[in-house]
Amino acid sequence: MGSRLLCASSRFASHLRISVSQRGFSSVVLKDLKYADSHEWVKIKGNKATVGITDHAQEHLGDVVYVELPDVGRSVSQGESFGAVESVKATSDINTPISGKVLQVNQHLSESPALVNSSPYEEGWIIKVEINDAGEVEKLMDSDKYSKFCEEEDAKH
Amino acid sequence: MRSPRTLEVWKLGTVNYLKSLKLQDKLVSERKAQRIPDTLLSLQHPPTYTLGKRRTDHNLLIPESELTKIGAELHYTQRGGDITFHGPHQAILYPIISLRSIGIGARCYVETLERSMIDFASIYGVKARAGNKCETGVWVGDRKIGAIGVRISSGITCHGLAFNIDPDLKYFEHIVPCGIADKEVTSLRRETDALLPSEETIHEQLVSCWAKAFSYDDVVWKEDPSVILDSQDNK
Repeated sequence: MGSRLLCASSRFASHLRISVSQRGFSSVVLKDLKYADSHEWVKIKGNKATVGITDHAQEHLGDVVYVELPDVGRSVSQGESFGAVESVKATSDINTPISGKVLQVNQHLSESPALVNSSPYEEGWIIKVEINDAGEVEKLMDSDKYSKFCEEEDAKH
Repeated sequence: MRSPRTLEVWKLGTVNYLKSLKLQDKLVSERKAQRIPDTLLSLQHPPTYTLGKRRTDHNLLIPESELTKIGAELHYTQRGGDITFHGPHQAILYPIISLRSIGIGARCYVETLERSMIDFASIYGVKARAGNKCETGVWVGDRKIGAIGVRISSGITCHGLAFNIDPDLKYFEHIVPCGIADKEVTSLRRETDALLPSEETIHEQLVSCWAKAFSYDDVVWKEDPSVILDSQDNK
């Protein structure tokens, strides 16, 4: 039992990359995702993509109380806003890292918007998209670049 | 060594709410395209009720049809926050700034807005505090003196804060202010016996507290509001 646990935790560690900001709190960055400079992540499987906001984003937002979701079937365009989150009396637009057609939205976020904070990469996913052009992924950052980007952004403050 | 940060401040006087929304939209585009520096609008509105993105109009306690009778307008917006009232003798600041340039997010931005209002209140000996969780804004005891409602798109802010100097607080009786029942609304006039200077001076003090809280190196005051207000009409 003990050795199985050890294997599981080392597998977990192998795809987790922690970035530590100047102030010492760390935000989670996952190796197998791609990232936009507006702090959204995308996971691509074939011609389908799942989109959400990153751990860094949810930390900097505060407690999310509302998520505005797009309609299923709507077209989204890389870098453009498709919805918004509200936290601390501020609405923040969410931009899509990838273009395509919205296949599914996470309805759980209507009842439980805080999932974006507690599970930004898993249960807090926001939309699933059928992508037009897989080549667009070239414009995004990998986990290493995104971690550095977050550190640089936090250092400005 | 970071480069110096400049803030341009426009003193606009009383501006119709819709006009101020159009102006902010334009300035947000300009700021996003880096054609203008960080900009702050200092103004007041005629009597106006506004709602945020969540459209919590159940917190308007009189029928919409009654609003013209009391001389007020109602507007729906994309900002965060609940229902609020804006009117004469309430000082409003709409910062159009790039949060990405200073590397902060919504939470830190809003906390700094609160701090700027708290500092301003202290000029008059008023001990204000930031709200508890779910009560964003600035309070004196259990009475709300400053409200916040913000929108951030592509890292650029619009809407902002409203600080009650001496508005007609009766207007707040027609709403559940900010969706928080059982809590009073107050004003600087109510909370201090100090002699209040002219409104222009008060607005300048609020702007100064704001610029200090956000660590601007240079503040450029723009005196001719017609430059940005009227330029919108020439389309």
